[in-house]
Amino acid sequence: MTRAPVPPRILAVGTSHPPRAYTQDDLVRLFRCEDPKVRQFFESSHIQRRHLVLPEPDADGVMPDEDGGALLAKHLRVSLEIGREAVERCLGANRRTAVEVDFFATTTSTGFLCPGLTAYLIEASGMRSSVHRADIVGMGCNAGMNGLLTVASFAAANPGRAALLLACEVCSAAYVFELTARAGVVNSLFGDGAAAVLVVADERLTAADGPALLGFESHIVHAARDEMRFDFENGRFSFYLGWEIPYLIGEQIRTPVLRLLDRFGLKRRDISHWVVHSGGKKVVDAIKYNLGLTDHDVRHTRSVLRDFGNISSASILFSLEKLTRERIAGEGDYGVVIAMGPGVSIETGLLRW
Amino acid sequence: MSETTLRLDRVGPVATVTLDRPDRGNAISMTMVRELEQLCHLLEDEAAERVLVLRGAGGTFCSGIDLLDFPPEAKPDIRGFSRWEKACRTIERLPMVTIAAIDGECVGGGLQLALTCDARVATERASFQLHEVRDGFLPGMGTFRLAKFIGLGRARFMAMTGRRVAAGEAFELGIVDRVCPAAGLDAAVGATIAAFGEIHRDAVELARRLFDESFEIPYEDFLGCFLAAQHRAIQSEAFKALVREAHERGVPRPRR
Repeated sequence: MTRAPVPPRILAVGTSHPPRAYTQDDLVRLFRCEDPKVRQFFESSHIQRRHLVLPEPDADGVMPDEDGGALLAKHLRVSLEIGREAVERCLGANRRTAVEVDFFATTTSTGFLCPGLTAYLIEASGMRSSVHRADIVGMGCNAGMNGLLTVASFAAANPGRAALLLACEVCSAAYVFELTARAGVVNSLFGDGAAAVLVVADERLTAADGPALLGFESHIVHAARDEMRFDFENGRFSFYLGWEIPYLIGEQIRTPVLRLLDRFGLKRRDISHWVVHSGGKKVVDAIKYNLGLTDHDVRHTRSVLRDFGNISSASILFSLEKLTRERIAGEGDYGVVIAMGPGVSIETGLLRW
Repeated sequence: MSETTLRLDRVGPVATVTLDRPDRGNAISMTMVRELEQLCHLLEDEAAERVLVLRGAGGTFCSGIDLLDFPPEAKPDIRGFSRWEKACRTIERLPMVTIAAIDGECVGGGLQLALTCDARVATERASFQLHEVRDGFLPGMGTFRLAKFIGLGRARFMAMTGRRVAAGEAFELGIVDRVCPAAGLDAAVGATIAAFGEIHRDAVELARRLFDESFEIPYEDFLGCFLAAQHRAIQSEAFKALVREAHERGVPRPRR
């Protein structure tokens, strides 16, 4: 008789962010933005504040220019601070220490390092030198799910062993922060934050320990590959986001979600909890009306967007932490996690408590 | 599925669900709530019909909540009301046109049920009442829905006095969309269905949701909701065919 494989479970989530938060008004003032079109992005956006690491204005009140080298150094410095704190909080929540981690993966799209972030954080956090590792770089906002699939696969293949994912995004180090017309949308959107999740497959674990990761479905839309991208101009990165992207994602969202549900014989109404990436107001609306979700279903998605902005791959884990803290998920409840980003890519996963 | 409190008749594009407890005035029991939700799920999953008609057996639409469902000794609990609202919401989210065909009493939960529908057709002998406040409890989420149909003042007066409203007045108030002779309910329902035309499931579901939300959401937020919903609607085959046909005929309007 063969026994059903033990599904990996998410045992803990820990988050961190830089201490300083800026309201949208703060930023418009700080960067002395006069362009009404750009100011409009900051006013109409459903973001109240974002945690960012920005330089201090000079004696004349002008924001100094940060070059590529300074941005990379900031990415590493801030990643080590918030990444280590998120890892500590996650492991602490499950009463574990760093030496117990067997596999460590990171996701980031806000700075290219070699050696990768794991090489720094394994030492800084006190993990064993024998820990397996993977650095997932440059996949964008959907990477939280790509990372989750990676640690879940390790955990499933190695029962009892601890896999840790850190989604670490220092968006204020990704590109030059400027309030021009083209950069206005993205610079009014992204924020800094890090979130870690601990995933273990062990038959002794139950719903009380955390939700099981039952499966994943991916969907990539090639036709829109260039509609969400990093550009490299004049020696520095900028991020481009096509205006139709939120609607395109709405149009495509049912493909992976229904495929995922069909695989497990579920209907949309069987899903009690939705963990949706806080991509921006428009894309959340588009998902809401294409999947028939309610405001209640996207409450964490909205509150993370309001308080942190779009923190790229870490967003879904911030929402998952909020859901976990509510303690409303009961044994047998199903949840669907949705992250979307460049590719254009929609990544989904099924949870069961 | 075998219902004990409901009857389902499926004829062409029309599914008719009859509240079928005539000896108890089609009162709403927990069994009926569960069965109503299950039937809605069945209709949604099979997507075979485009219209749902709700009606009552034996000359009454629905006399409201079944108090015999509450054990006399036990402390009453709230879960049943939550379940009932969930069933009402399920009807409000169905991707089909929903019509309440009302003969006789339409009271309490019965009126709440009618208010979840896109249209209410009533016979001349139909009457409408929210008696709950007068009896010391609350008319479900009728407090949420009724004022949207008839205005806050009239809704409060009607619900707080428990006044019985006859079909003609219900039409004047805006509770009912069409009144017909007692023997003419089937014909009136048929004419109402015909008035909806072809019925595009997605457009019906999205329009109903947006109308409901228009009372709750500020303009800027609502605009975002509308654009998201309209984007979905214009990706439909129906809209593409409309555009194609307009080009073929060289006329900017759809054929009506």
